[in-house]
Amino acid sequence: MSRLGYLARRLLLAIPVVLFGTSLTFLIIRMGPIDPAAAIVGSPDTPSAQAQYERTREQLGLTQPLWDQYVEFMTDLLLFDLGQSWVLSPGTNTYDLILTYAPRTLWLGFWSILIAVFVGIPLGFYAGLNPNTRADYLVSFGGIVWRAMPNFWLAIILLALFAQSQQYFFGFDWSGFVVDSEVTGAYQFSDITTSEGFVREFKRVLPAALVLGSASMGNEMRIGRTAVLETINSNYVETAKAKGLSTTKIVWKHVFRNALIPLVPVITSEAFLLIGGAVLVEVVFGINGLGYLFFQAVINGDLPLVASLMYVFILVLVGVNIIQDILYTIIDPRVGLEEGSA
Amino acid sequence: MIGGDADDGDGGSAGGNADGRSTDGDTDSFEDRPLRERIAANPRPAAVWGAGFALLVAVQFGAIADVIVNAMPWGVALGALPSIPGTGILAAVGQWFADLPTLLSPELIPNEGYYVPGEGWHGTFLGLSPAIAWGIRVVLVYAYAFAALAWIWYAYVLFRRHYRYADWTPRDDVVDRLRTHRWGQFGIVIVLAFLVMAIFAPALATAPVAQNIEDPYSHTIEYYDHDAGEVVETTVGDANRNSQSRGQDARNVGPMSYDDYDRFHPLGTMPSGQDLFTFIVFGARVSLLIGLLSLTISGVAAAGFALFGAYYKGKLDLSFVVMSDSVQAMPRLLLLVLLSVILADTWIGGLYSGAVVLALIFGVTGWPALWRAIRGPALQVAEKEWIDAARSYDQAPTTTMRRHMLPYILGYLLIYASMTLGGIIVGVAGLSFLGLGVDSPTPEWGRAIDAGQDYVTTASWHISLLPGLFIVLVVTAFNALGDGIRDAIDPQSDVGGDSEEAAAGGTGA
Repeated sequence: MSRLGYLARRLLLAIPVVLFGTSLTFLIIRMGPIDPAAAIVGSPDTPSAQAQYERTREQLGLTQPLWDQYVEFMTDLLLFDLGQSWVLSPGTNTYDLILTYAPRTLWLGFWSILIAVFVGIPLGFYAGLNPNTRADYLVSFGGIVWRAMPNFWLAIILLALFAQSQQYFFGFDWSGFVVDSEVTGAYQFSDITTSEGFVREFKRVLPAALVLGSASMGNEMRIGRTAVLETINSNYVETAKAKGLSTTKIVWKHVFRNALIPLVPVITSEAFLLIGGAVLVEVVFGINGLGYLFFQAVINGDLPLVASLMYVFILVLVGVNIIQDILYTIIDPRVGLEEGSA
Repeated sequence: MIGGDADDGDGGSAGGNADGRSTDGDTDSFEDRPLRERIAANPRPAAVWGAGFALLVAVQFGAIADVIVNAMPWGVALGALPSIPGTGILAAVGQWFADLPTLLSPELIPNEGYYVPGEGWHGTFLGLSPAIAWGIRVVLVYAYAFAALAWIWYAYVLFRRHYRYADWTPRDDVVDRLRTHRWGQFGIVIVLAFLVMAIFAPALATAPVAQNIEDPYSHTIEYYDHDAGEVVETTVGDANRNSQSRGQDARNVGPMSYDDYDRFHPLGTMPSGQDLFTFIVFGARVSLLIGLLSLTISGVAAAGFALFGAYYKGKLDLSFVVMSDSVQAMPRLLLLVLLSVILADTWIGGLYSGAVVLALIFGVTGWPALWRAIRGPALQVAEKEWIDAARSYDQAPTTTMRRHMLPYILGYLLIYASMTLGGIIVGVAGLSFLGLGVDSPTPEWGRAIDAGQDYVTTASWHISLLPGLFIVLVVTAFNALGDGIRDAIDPQSDVGGDSEEAAAGGTGA
């Protein structure tokens, strides 16, 4: 199978995945005991409430047969008609809600990926180049423990440490450091282009980004270390050494570049953890991002909003998967040559 | 090669005479005889082991009977059947067994008592302080548990030495590789300690869970009232209310300290005044139950899909790919949040404070990660000649899968199951932290972290910090165990690299 053929096949496979995933969402939401109309109106005990309840059912299309509901649900979503919120902020378009909440999650996700990549990979590579030294043990063990920490717990601990930094860091005042900033609360992007606004928002995202990136950072350290160890013992590195190439050249050109290949899926799979795991971090740090929105929609029974958000998440994750495959076909010439790598 | 092949029994030379295992000198018949007859030929080691095992069971017999009689949901299981005559007597006999004194119980080594000035401790084991009495019980529980585990291991050693006909099987190499794997051993020890904690929770806790956590106002304790100068009785609920940990130094019962009612708190108290250690040991039970139950569900599903997909390939395999990709395309934690909210009001949501429904949810959403991890090995084994051979002999496909493919992928399943278990424990704690997981009054670690959230920087730092450290330790240990098993069963493993491991591990909590 050629590389393009492989890519085409992956793209083709994404279509049933999106369809099936969205259908599952419909199934979960409609088959459950939560009545969307009752969640919106409250229990219909008075005649007027009863009338309103019936009206809401009509509006939501719950009076139609289930099959018609399903077809309408799927066509609406596939045509990107995401509807509106019913309970959380009645009448607001889902698009508007996403546009309001998404930048905060993106800001958080961006930094948690970046910090994890720029701390985790160098540390892992360093450990791989110096195997079985004290530094290697420290990095490996640190990575394992760092990865095992529950995000929400780490968030609570870091929040406490940063909020009371004077008490724990010998009088160092984190909130007043360089520019004044609060540790919790939503981000404000109105003056993000100014250097002060940027530093302030960076300071505010740092603890949350450290937490959200913790699992990936640990993974990157571990996998980076193994990858370097594997490449360093491979034959072509041996050949390069025999040719008399300088160590710097071997390490940068032959070791690091190849060691990056197994790290690609790790970095892209972070998107999964970021979208999912952001809920807990956002709840602890009081950031009203997408995860927080989804959580609120679920516990308030705003099922139309839940379905639309889930559809968006499915699209994002399937998109990330496709990007990963494209990256793979670009950097790794062996892709598509192995059988059974669907 | 993988340990599962040991069942073929054609490895290794047939029964050795060298160590005198074969009493009648005929090796062939030694091989052919069932284990029961092999033991009958040389009963001494087995008898010694059996006697030791009986002793270990006997001292704890009451507790074992108690679990069988009282902890199993007999009412649910038998409720549908018409009443059978004689069950009353049976229940009474069962209860009598369940009430037998056991060596490791708060009744035999009590740690709850009160201190009367000038007289010393009343009601505690040998008049020792509650801290020491509790400490003795903990040491005894762990000594007993590890002795029992060592004894069970000894059974394998005896079997290998006296009753197994093969001198060597691939499984021996697996064991030998684990012998030098320090990291894996660390994992095994901590995981076993965690299992013991969950199993022996009632014996380890400083107070019975019903008395301290579930129903404190229906239970009373005695304490010495300094103002009145006499021993007074009070409800546990009132005592808890005056033993709360709420940040200020005046209202805090820290780790390794006593409250005003002479109760010892090894890890301090919660904001509600409940004992944190009791909360944690019973929380371990819930976590373990959810973890094992959900892993069983997802493990069976993953193994089934992997076997059928690898055997038939083509469209069937592709449909599994689409199905698992679809489940994985939804963010796992958000899917868990959604499902646990939607299923909370159903009849199944009420079982065991919601633990059963959580196990189901984790099982249903967890199989794709496990299946991805074992699909590679399953496809590999499906290519082997012996599968073709089995097919050409018209062996039924399910038989081929069970006998010739399953043993090969079982080891991989074990690796990823171990690594996933840590992720499930974290996930359950995360959901409970959000208020969606295991409901009150059943203890769960995430709820302890949630309860202590506001007190991390205060005198009551222990409430959030210690349960979190327990989670980190247990999750690390399960990962280490997974590493150990992987290196032991397949040292040259190149299937299922770290990235799949990473995917299998986390829920994002």
